[in-house]
Amino acid sequence: MSKRLSVSLFLVLIGLAGCYRGPLSWQRVTLNQPITSDQIGFIQDGQTTLTEVVDNLGAPDEIVKLQERLVARYHFTDGKYFRADYGWGLRAVIPIFAPDLILGGGGFGTDVFEVSCDSHLVVQQHAFAFHVNSSKYRAWPFSD
Amino acid sequence: MNAVSRAALIGLLALTLLGGCAFARGSYGEEVTQGNMAAIKKGVSTRADVAALLGAPDRIIEANGHEFFHYYHFDVKSGFFSIIILTLTRTNIKSDDIFIVFDRNGLVEEVVAGKKKPNLEFQIWPFDWPFGP
Repeated sequence: MSKRLSVSLFLVLIGLAGCYRGPLSWQRVTLNQPITSDQIGFIQDGQTTLTEVVDNLGAPDEIVKLQERLVARYHFTDGKYFRADYGWGLRAVIPIFAPDLILGGGGFGTDVFEVSCDSHLVVQQHAFAFHVNSSKYRAWPFSD
Repeated sequence: MNAVSRAALIGLLALTLLGGCAFARGSYGEEVTQGNMAAIKKGVSTRADVAALLGAPDRIIEANGHEFFHYYHFDVKSGFFSIIILTLTRTNIKSDDIFIVFDRNGLVEEVVAGKKKPNLEFQIWPFDWPFGP
């Protein structure tokens, strides 16, 4: 192999390296960090104010009006996706046309921590809503 | 080409075949600085003062006699790694939110900002194990 050809091939491979994706792929997306039950131990319904909650946990990412109440909501979202290209191995056998056979799947889940306040911004209720377990890698998309 | 050069070239070619990695960064919205936050005075600053400092709010919420100006900023960091047959990608997103609460007279009653969230990390490992979530 000539030196020029070797260098050219090397440069082409470097250029393509960023575009390459292997047949097995795991992808994950997260929004914010989860809030644990230890972090909210200081909240006393009827006494703690929204300002104190915010000083400890940071600002909520949503405030919703519900009749005479305000609900401050903290979200943590986790998304996972897996894909496998089972036709990839055929490229060594059929280099010109190797069909893709891709199976995979994933899910998104969001944990929400909600703080309900009265008109004086004093906490009346607080609760978790857990849904993040619906975020999982799925290798087989046909299951129930 | 001597043997050492040939081995080095083959090594470099092998490395390029092993795959690649990439890091990307993005953001949405304007970050509110501590200086701007300090300029907002409870009981003194008006809606117009806040809008002049921070710009128009991204959302306005009205509830129980309070008016909330909601400002938000998103930061995104993404890492990608590929080696022969495996590709790992992880994207982390952080939201920073600020609510300015106004009373019935249109003066700032409360600034709901709290502590800053920790800085976002670049990560390529998409699994919980062995490092935790």
